[in-house]
Amino acid sequence: MTGLAPHLFNGLTLGMLFALIALGFTLIIGVMEVINLAHGALFALGAYFALTILGDWSAGTAFGAWWLGFPLTVRYVAALVLAPILAGCAGMVLERCLRPTYDKVPLYGLLLTFGAALVIEEAIRLLWGTGEKSLALPEAISGAVLVGGLIYSKYKLFAAIFALAAIAAVWLFLERTSYGAIIKAGAHDSEMVRALGYDLAKLRMLVFGFGAGLAGLAGVIMVPIWGLRPHVGVDVVIPAFLIIVLGGVGSFWGAVVASLLVGLTVGITGAYASAWSTMSMYLLLIAVVGVRARGLFGRKSALEN
Amino acid sequence: MLKSRLTRRRLLGTSAAAAGVTAFHGPWVHNRVYAAATDKPIRIGITSDASGQYANSGASDRRGMHMAIDEFNAKGGVLGRKIEAIHIDTETTPATGSRVAERMISREQCGFLIGAVHSGVANAISQVAQKYGVIYLNTNSSSPTESGKDCHRVKFVWDGNGTNFSKAAVKNSIDSFGKNWMLLTNDYVWGHNTSAATRKLLTEYGGEISEEILIPQGTRDFSSALLKIQQAKPVVVAAAVGGDDQKALRTQVAQLGMGESPAWISNQQDWPDVYGLPLDNLFGVFGTTWYYKLDLPGVAEFVQRYQAAYPDTQMRVPGNVFYNGYMATRELLGAIERAGTTSNVAVIKQLEGHKMPATERMQHHDAWIDPATHQVQQTIYLATANAGTQDKDDMFKILTQSAPEDVLDAGAAEACKLESHADTPTFDA
Amino acid sequence: MTSLADIPRRAGAWVTPPMAVMAVVTVSAPLWLGPVGLHQYLGIEIAIWIIYALGFNLLFGYGGLHSFGHGAYLGTGAYAFGLFQHHVAVSLWGGLLAAVLTAGIAGALVGAIVSHRRGIYYALLTIACGQVFWFVAVKAHWLTGGDDGLLSIPRPALRLGVTTVDLNDNLAFFYLVIAVLAVTVVGLWRLVHSPFGRILQAVRQNETRAAFVGYHVWRFKWAAFVISAILSGLAGGLFAMAQQSAYPDVMSLHQSGLVVMMVLVGGGLVGFWGPVLGVALYFGVRDFLGALTETWLLWYGLMFVVMVMYRPEGLAGILHSVQAKLSCAPVLREKPTE
Repeated sequence: MTGLAPHLFNGLTLGMLFALIALGFTLIIGVMEVINLAHGALFALGAYFALTILGDWSAGTAFGAWWLGFPLTVRYVAALVLAPILAGCAGMVLERCLRPTYDKVPLYGLLLTFGAALVIEEAIRLLWGTGEKSLALPEAISGAVLVGGLIYSKYKLFAAIFALAAIAAVWLFLERTSYGAIIKAGAHDSEMVRALGYDLAKLRMLVFGFGAGLAGLAGVIMVPIWGLRPHVGVDVVIPAFLIIVLGGVGSFWGAVVASLLVGLTVGITGAYASAWSTMSMYLLLIAVVGVRARGLFGRKSALEN
Repeated sequence: MLKSRLTRRRLLGTSAAAAGVTAFHGPWVHNRVYAAATDKPIRIGITSDASGQYANSGASDRRGMHMAIDEFNAKGGVLGRKIEAIHIDTETTPATGSRVAERMISREQCGFLIGAVHSGVANAISQVAQKYGVIYLNTNSSSPTESGKDCHRVKFVWDGNGTNFSKAAVKNSIDSFGKNWMLLTNDYVWGHNTSAATRKLLTEYGGEISEEILIPQGTRDFSSALLKIQQAKPVVVAAAVGGDDQKALRTQVAQLGMGESPAWISNQQDWPDVYGLPLDNLFGVFGTTWYYKLDLPGVAEFVQRYQAAYPDTQMRVPGNVFYNGYMATRELLGAIERAGTTSNVAVIKQLEGHKMPATERMQHHDAWIDPATHQVQQTIYLATANAGTQDKDDMFKILTQSAPEDVLDAGAAEACKLESHADTPTFDA
Repeated sequence: MTSLADIPRRAGAWVTPPMAVMAVVTVSAPLWLGPVGLHQYLGIEIAIWIIYALGFNLLFGYGGLHSFGHGAYLGTGAYAFGLFQHHVAVSLWGGLLAAVLTAGIAGALVGAIVSHRRGIYYALLTIACGQVFWFVAVKAHWLTGGDDGLLSIPRPALRLGVTTVDLNDNLAFFYLVIAVLAVTVVGLWRLVHSPFGRILQAVRQNETRAAFVGYHVWRFKWAAFVISAILSGLAGGLFAMAQQSAYPDVMSLHQSGLVVMMVLVGGGLVGFWGPVLGVALYFGVRDFLGALTETWLLWYGLMFVVMVMYRPEGLAGILHSVQAKLSCAPVLREKPTE
């Protein structure tokens, strides 16, 4: 059993990181009933924005010289805050493009986001080049730490704890603030919300921006583990999909629980049946959805038609 | 009435447009038929990736080919004919490779095809090339099957393959580190072939493998595998992990600080995949076919030529992918000149068995093209990270160099069944 | 606005004017492909993908069942064809039959899993199943050749009683493919305008109502899935012959998404001929733009996004609007005198 414990711990940290990715995705689906296939591209965009904000490229200019004078920690925190905001803005632009598709079958929205994902990835390739890049990390969170005789990555622990904090913050926002209440009401019955006088268009734009911002944040956090290249977003979309279907479309707790479940599955199969570790998520999905159509916590939604 | 007038007008307009279009295309079609063989330019089709996983390496590959072509054109071309190159993105997708090859041969009139990194794409292109008899140079795909069961009479392989690198690495590593090894194998053909070669060599030299961990393609999280390695404590881990999986592995091993112990043996490390990354990502021992700081005549000047030709690229110094692209193109054009014709049979005969002296290759040993497998037998270098360097570009420290005879892929000659000259259609560019 | 539910003229006929036009265009293709700047192999690929897209649209457009993992059946057909040639016999019809049967069985299995669902869950399950197929194709490299691909698939000669036609020449093979395409088109046209097709559309429009009227909804959804898988398998077998190899990447999500894109852009959701237009546009654009610029996908993606935003009925829909406008023009031009 002592052999199992580190893998369990490992699976849980992986689950936390998956949850960060899935959360933005499920929010957009829950409120707007749009499956955002560009989620991965926004993830990558957030990471590339962070790369630019960290500023290694700007060494030649005067602004660059001044900016690079700041310690890495300051620049990293700035990247952590600004990159998701920029990704959120990109999300809002995407939402603007989605507007003509709202009164049609959800399929069109999905297809538009698929096309947008292609466009964003190509644009990244054009602007930042095709090569492998890396995000510099401050001393405090890089390196390794010994726990119980085994080496763990300090950064991974930081990332998992940060993800946990972010998820808690999102939960607080949704449950304890009036804005969160409006968003939840919008997910439940958008017509009523409009009837009550709230600007639905603005609400949708902000929610999409928020979801995109979460995607960007996930990008900044995950990329030091996964590596940074233009099509890194492709690795994100499928797990995000699986997790929200597993947990139930549009459900907050569904996304969190399903992420932990998927993380544990991948972590444990990685230890004992490594060849099946990536397939295990699909098999888990087929098993759960085969039994309970809506996933673990899912409610009926308009997407079913 | 009104309706029919509209349609008649439209009909006249459309036919006028169609006539104009056909007239425009007319002369161009005729040119193809009338052009005399002696002043028609030689067209080379560059089949490298510009998108997908190997986009970066593909770009480097292309630069090498272009530099060689420009050098020959500056001397007046080959056999008095200018060399033209056309590039179409193969998208790291084999079906696109087939389509691109077909288009280049039938529509673009290319006489030669060059370029590949992904073995699936290389196979797709070489099947089409063999069908028409067009010579194809596989510049950078290092799968052992390329010169083994997937070899072709028209295909020539310019990179060292997994077996060559394993042979160079295994003996040295057992002597330096020890006999208790673990294998980390990417669960696809290249990974399995490479690990199989390593396993065979290891047992020959008396080593033993405690466990082989399979890594599915698309794995981004290596924590389980790395935890298992920590628990098992081998002295050496031989990693046959490629593509994006390898990049994620490097980042994560660096974060854990596991790069020193155990000792890591990777297979070949392509320069474009690591250029610009922090040095601790470059742990362990890995192979390469060339390095820009080799202390050999001609190397420094070659690097300068690169920097003069490509002042704006991010990669300030060339690496093995550029080198292979350059060498392959240069030798092909040289072979055409020696053959005195672009007829494929003659050029193939010039390439088979062709010897390239070490000085021309900028490597430590002479190289030659094996006539039985069509693979270039060349010097294999083992390197590790150049710790403590101040120069950001000088990332490798060359440890050893092996002569081609010592790292020969013995199984290839048996597995490779080249089509006979009779079975290969004649083709003249 | 036109829709698939409209009953077109000559719905009951075996041959219609658009079919005749298509026949003329495809049979004469070798003559004009070259001068227009295309090449014979591209014609083969377009024809094969039209078979694939038309079969796919039976499920996607007519059935309203959005499958995003259909590449799995194209790939299965390709592998089945290749493996048949390597291990059983070198035979054209045997290979195609193997392709069709294997893809049909695969479709039957997956269809049984997904046909209970609708909407997003349907789509997601098809993605998951498609990924499973891809994974198996890559992993079972002793059978499929994995990433390296299943190579050296021959093009068996076509035995027509007295003569034998060698299909190694692209031209001859092209004619075989368009012959298969013609049979497919006629068959599908008859199928969608048959009672089966009408009921399938009824299921698309309102499953509950169709069930209440007495139709066994699950069976129709499953049957549509199987038929579209069979056609995809047929296209796959032909594709294996065209490339003379089979690779796992047609089963990837990206490639499965491409056929959805093509069908939508072409207008498969509003017209029978939509997939034909969509495939021709995609291949034409990529061949043309791909030789000009490396970022062609950026431009195609942007065009696709704009199209979904403003003209989701696709090319077929646009053509229909233009046609309607032209035939109505005289009436519309007359201003009411007051």
